[in-house]
Parts: sequence; C-alpha cells; structure tokens
Amino acid sequence: MASLVTWMLALGSLAVAFLLVGYVLMSLILIIPTWRICTRAGFSGALSLFHLVPFVGSFIVMGMLAFSTWPAGEASPGR
Amino acid sequence: MGVEIAALSFFGLTGAFAVVGTVLAAWMAWRIVEKAGLPGWTGLGAILLTLTGVGTIVPLILLWVFAFMRWPRDEPASAGTFGFAPSRGAAPTTGPVALAGPSMALPDARGWLLSGTLGNGGAVSLAVGGTSGTYALTGAPGGAPTDLSVPDPSVGQPHARLLLSGRRLGLEDLGSPGGTYIDGARLLPEHGPRDISAVRAIRLGSVELALTRA
Repeated sequence: MASLVTWMLALGSLAVAFLLVGYVLMSLILIIPTWRICTRAGFSGALSLFHLVPFVGSFIVMGMLAFSTWPAGEASPGR
Repeated sequence: MGVEIAALSFFGLTGAFAVVGTVLAAWMAWRIVEKAGLPGWTGLGAILLTLTGVGTIVPLILLWVFAFMRWPRDEPASAGTFGFAPSRGAAPTTGPVALAGPSMALPDARGWLLSGTLGNGGAVSLAVGGTSGTYALTGAPGGAPTDLSVPDPSVGQPHARLLLSGRRLGLEDLGSPGGTYIDGARLLPEHGPRDISAVRAIRLGSVELALTRA
C-alpha cells in the first residue's frame, strides 16, 4: 500500500513537472516578442516575464507598455 | 435548481470577466501600437480578432510581426519627419515639357510663438521669426541673440534646439534630464530634429509651451 502511494505521488509530481514545463514553453511564445517590444520601448526585457503569471500577467505587461512613457521615445500622436 | 443558478452565475461572471478583459486588452493594444507610430485601430483589431473564428493564432502571429517589424517611430528623423532636404529644383531641361509644374502655395510669412507659464507662476513668451536659423532653448538668461531663455530650474542649459527652415520648425532634444516632449510624446537626442510645425504644445522639463503662429 505504501509503495502504491509513493508511486502515485511520484507520478503526480512528474505530471506537475510536465505541466510546468509545458506552461513555460507556451509562455515563451508570448515572452520572446514581448521581450523585444519592451527593449525597443526602452524598458527591461525582463518585464515580459510577467507572462509567466497566470491570468493577469499579460495585462500587467500590456498596462506597463500602454500607460507609461516609453523611455526610448514614442511617436507623436498626430503623425 | 440551486446548482443551475450557481452554474449560470459562474458562467455569467466568467463571461463578464472575458468581456472586460477583451475591452481592456483592446484599449491597451490601441495605445501601444500608437506609441510605436502605427494606427491605433490595428492594435484594436488584432485583439478583437480573438472574438472571431480565427481564434488566437492570428493575434499571436500579429504580435510577432509587431515585435520584429520596423516601427514608424524609428524612421530616421531626416527621412521625412524634418530633414532640411534640398528643394526639388526646376523641371529637367532636356526633353519635352508637356505639363507645367504645380502651382506653389504662397508661403506663410508669419513667425512662430512659444508661450507658457513657468514653475514660479511667471509667463514666458518666445517669438521666432525669419525663414532659417538655429535657436537654443535654455534655462539660462539669454546671452547670445539666438538664445531663447526659459528661466525655470527644470530647463537645461541648453535644453533643446529649435531649427527654422522655410515654413517649417524643428525641435531637437539636447539630452537635458528634464526631458523634452512633443504633444506629450518624449523626444530623445537620438531622434534628431523633429518637425513640430503642426504641433500644438511642447514641454521642456516641467514648462509647457503652446506653439502658435505669431
């Protein structure tokens, strides 16, 4: 019985590990372009790592880019 | 019955969050692409595409395109934003001339006026006339005839450069810590001179100056 519980716990940990790796890989699809957008805007590329935060992470990054002054300069609104 | 109400409430709440999230994302995307120099509706459209049958793959592709494309903001200043390009010159002298050139608009001979309020409540008014010249916007009291003094602690010495060429007025930031803004958008030294002929206001440090024709 004890060995069965141990085996199931190990399987559960493996499943969680696979899920985490999969989540990070999926997040990379968002993180790579956002890293470049952040650096071009003048922010640290590490800001894009907020994409790793479930649900609200993308909103945090977009909010930073949308509502703060870009250190590298912005286009004039009327151009 | 209780389960049904709970399920309806749950999905209603989820739907409400989805609507609010989509609207928020669309608004932020609008602002982000505008800061890069693209029309705001392109960002809005990219987010709204998720509501259509194409799913999320197209907005993802557009995100990658946006990240690696050339942004209008990054176009060289001399390529069209300001640039003291030589005049087009006369029509070619060789070959037949079938049509006359377009009639030229009468040049606007008025000068430029920068006016605003200083941090201490005082008023500042700077007039720029003529058709060519370079002027220094500085926080120091005016020394040279080409110095335009904005006596405020937030204004560098010098802070920015005004360039007059024909009917166009340009502004170049000189890297002062207070920063230079054109209609709220930050101007950096690496942007070079920018055409501000159609601009309503510039900001030097904390001093907002309205730009009008004198």
